[in-house]
Amino acid sequence: MSSNRFAALILLCWPAGAQTPAPAVPAPAPAPAAAAAAAPSGYVGSETCQPCHEDIYNAFQKSPHKLVDTQKRRGWEGKACESCHGPGAAHAASAEKAAIVNPAHLPPAETDRDCLKCHLNQPTHIGRIQNSHAKNEVSCTACHSIHANGPNGLVPRKAVAINELCAGCHTAVWAEFQRPYKHRLPEAAMSCVDCHNPHGSILRASAQSYAANEPGCFRCHGNLRGPFTFEHAPVRLEGCGACHEPHGSANPRMLARADVRFLCLECHANLPTAPGPIKNPPALGGVPPAFHDLLSPQFQNCTVCHMKVHGSYVNQDLLR
Amino acid sequence: MRLALAVLATIPLLGQTPAQTPAPAPTPAPVPADASSASPTPTTEQWITGTVDFGFRFTSVGGDNDVYRSVVNLGQGPRLLGLDLTIVDPKKRLFDRLDVRASNWGGDPYNTIHLDASKRGIYDFNFDYRDVAYFSLLPSFADPLLGTGIVLDEDSYFARRRMSDFQLDLLPGHRIVPYLAYGRDSGQGTGITTFESDTNSYPVADQMFDKTDNYRGGVHLEFNRFHVTLEQGGTTLRDDQQAYDSTLNYGNSYVPYFGQTLDLTNLAQAYGIRGSSIYSKALFTANPFSWLDVSGQFLYSLPNTSVNYTQFDTGNLVLEQAILFYTGEQALGFAAGKQPHTTASLGFELRPLKRVRVLQTWMTDRMHTAAAGLFTGMILQPVSATLNTPTVLSGLLVLNYNQEETDVFLDVTHKLTLRGGYRHEWGDAQTGNLLIAGPGQESSELRQQVGIAGINFRASQKLTFNGEFEGAASDHAYFLTSLYNYQKMRARARYQIVSTLALQASFSLLNNENPAAGANYDFLSRQNSLSASWTPSKRVSILTEYTRSTLRSNIGYLDPEFLTPVASLYRDNAHNASALIDLALPGYAKLVPRLAFGGSLFISSGSRPTTYYQPLARLSLPLHKGLVWKSEYRYYGYDEAFYQYEGFRAHILQTGLAISR
Repeated sequence: MSSNRFAALILLCWPAGAQTPAPAVPAPAPAPAAAAAAAPSGYVGSETCQPCHEDIYNAFQKSPHKLVDTQKRRGWEGKACESCHGPGAAHAASAEKAAIVNPAHLPPAETDRDCLKCHLNQPTHIGRIQNSHAKNEVSCTACHSIHANGPNGLVPRKAVAINELCAGCHTAVWAEFQRPYKHRLPEAAMSCVDCHNPHGSILRASAQSYAANEPGCFRCHGNLRGPFTFEHAPVRLEGCGACHEPHGSANPRMLARADVRFLCLECHANLPTAPGPIKNPPALGGVPPAFHDLLSPQFQNCTVCHMKVHGSYVNQDLLR
Repeated sequence: MRLALAVLATIPLLGQTPAQTPAPAPTPAPVPADASSASPTPTTEQWITGTVDFGFRFTSVGGDNDVYRSVVNLGQGPRLLGLDLTIVDPKKRLFDRLDVRASNWGGDPYNTIHLDASKRGIYDFNFDYRDVAYFSLLPSFADPLLGTGIVLDEDSYFARRRMSDFQLDLLPGHRIVPYLAYGRDSGQGTGITTFESDTNSYPVADQMFDKTDNYRGGVHLEFNRFHVTLEQGGTTLRDDQQAYDSTLNYGNSYVPYFGQTLDLTNLAQAYGIRGSSIYSKALFTANPFSWLDVSGQFLYSLPNTSVNYTQFDTGNLVLEQAILFYTGEQALGFAAGKQPHTTASLGFELRPLKRVRVLQTWMTDRMHTAAAGLFTGMILQPVSATLNTPTVLSGLLVLNYNQEETDVFLDVTHKLTLRGGYRHEWGDAQTGNLLIAGPGQESSELRQQVGIAGINFRASQKLTFNGEFEGAASDHAYFLTSLYNYQKMRARARYQIVSTLALQASFSLLNNENPAAGANYDFLSRQNSLSASWTPSKRVSILTEYTRSTLRSNIGYLDPEFLTPVASLYRDNAHNASALIDLALPGYAKLVPRLAFGGSLFISSGSRPTTYYQPLARLSLPLHKGLVWKSEYRYYGYDEAFYQYEGFRAHILQTGLAISR
């Protein structure tokens, strides 16, 4: 059978009827009617919540989560509040705080599990297991405002608001952006999520990736991606952070050292190595001694001559 | 056949009904009983809402204007400071909702516009565009002759980078969500680069243009117990660089070489770089049992580039190796490189007991860069010295990196979670020549064992504490400054003293040592931060933050000229503080003016002592419902103790109107 026919057969066999909506939770959740039957006195419906929690109720009407309340197929029609808070009958009767689940008071992992009942199987959560937020018990609700953010979604979308949200916890990182040489976050030309994926990533520091598995830096600095005929190994092995402080620095070009020569010499230390192919030297970057007089200003900034420091297409010494 | 396939493929997609995932499209206010008037907004709401903020900026700069442009670069003139519009179509024709946000148009160094449009269950469309100007001209950075009073503006540039991204998700909220995306990143500008010729280097004009196009498409499959994303993409690269000069250029060295003064009289140098790549992504998450989540990804990319290089230069130049003086040279080069790169990870979260979670991940990253080409340098004049030196170009960089990590979480009580874990990182890398083993070819290994511990204590809703520790021991690392034997600590506490006052403190530390003989790398960085948010009354709010950071780095190296051991010492001790006090002034007719003032300061000592002050004051004066007069004053003061000529002071006054409905 030709591959085209095989593809056609698969497509034909793909049952359109199989594309019925998923239930509200991966493990089949009871439909409202079924839930009511299972626990007839448990669920009271969102409108019962309204008189006491009017502000939340009104804000929720504009929330994307309102879909839970309006769509029968999600399994919680008219009971969106209880889809997260659990059956509310006892609470409605007694007005006791203890009579209802409040995800905000649960351990973060349990709160997350509540959200992930519906949201686990989505692309944003691929890196969740590697994510330092999840590992440090930062729950979804730390960033996502479930009730209050109105029609703008559950999380800020504007650069200024995103940066404020992140800076609320990462105060020391935000302080680095007050240095003179930095990426333009305080000016709102960028936001933290341009470089970091708060849900987690396969790269270090939850960095965004570009073109599958390249560091997200190349999204804006595509001309430095290469591949170069002569790569500068740290760019590939350690990333841009080997030489730059991307959040901000007092040094020009966000460099990690005040003088370019020291930045270079700390790796190219001229430490003695054996001649010929070198197996397991103390570190990569052993170069034959270059007889430069570092007292001469001409040699104090290596990149004046070794200008293709990110990699060169035609010169092994990164000179052109 | 293809058409038939396309039609067949469309049938099941259109047959979909939305899955349980909430669609990002906003939901209307309570739906009226009359279905025919089902509108995303009640009739009382306006279908277009938003704010337009425009004004005029005045600037006054004293000191070094080039440094001001390198650091701040705000200019004078009329500006569209902000635009934020939301259109909700009551009849839901082309879209349910359209959001447009724009900022800093009219000559500012960073312009942005973002557009989101969606129609529930049909499509989500996002467009993002940024135009960022980069200006860098810092005399202290790369001017070797600065001490003699000659400033050649070396390694400076003025370039713009423009980034645009489009993404279209079809059938959002359904089980099968196809998507298409396109992105372009381009840059162009001019600058001063260096033409390096033996024994001397010459600052020359430089022109840059590069463009990367990124096309991708894929599909999300969202089912009850698993999710799969499949994506295929590709990029194309065009990068043209040209350096040129036609003046008498003595370069950076005025010292005669064997009695002759070297100079460059003419240069035409050009790089024509073309590249492309394909890449593939396969991602999945699954929840096969209530006690097990599994996720994994497979990523593959294959970028490749080719370059054509030409160079023609004249002057009084020298080939140092042969002490051969010449007056004309031509060089031609071409090369091509490939970089297959594969990354994969697999992990699971296991919940064997109610209070115990186990996270396990494996990851591998494999990259192999191989490139080859030919470079020919030809000395053309004088004819007596004609020399042709072809050189084979070949480069190699291989990286194999692997990581395995296990974390165990134990909920000791409802309020206390402890974490313990272990990470093993290992790999190897090889650099050097593709064809010939010899000097410059190196291979190294990475072997690192990392212990992990953490604590999360939630004493109450008002008091939380989080701490994390990593300690590592290594046998090998790739570079002298890489993480080797290190300890990393982070701690953060948050305390809501009363409903109007919250405090947060954080501490982080990284101590890294590499005992390699001759290097003895010793690195310590610490950051302590304290912030407070206080709202003493409805009319006053105060946000303050203070961070103290210290960095110490000592590493040994051999002086390149005499091979004597010396040390590279770097220190950075910084104080950073910021505050914003927001006051609601007495109002009139429900219009409340607001005054905010504060700003930030950065003071550092050490290897590059710097002060950078950015105080500001803002006044918002409502003139009418939906009309606000806004004014802002900002001061920038920048000083460097070692390079006082680079300081600047700028007063910036911005005033304008914000119209909203």
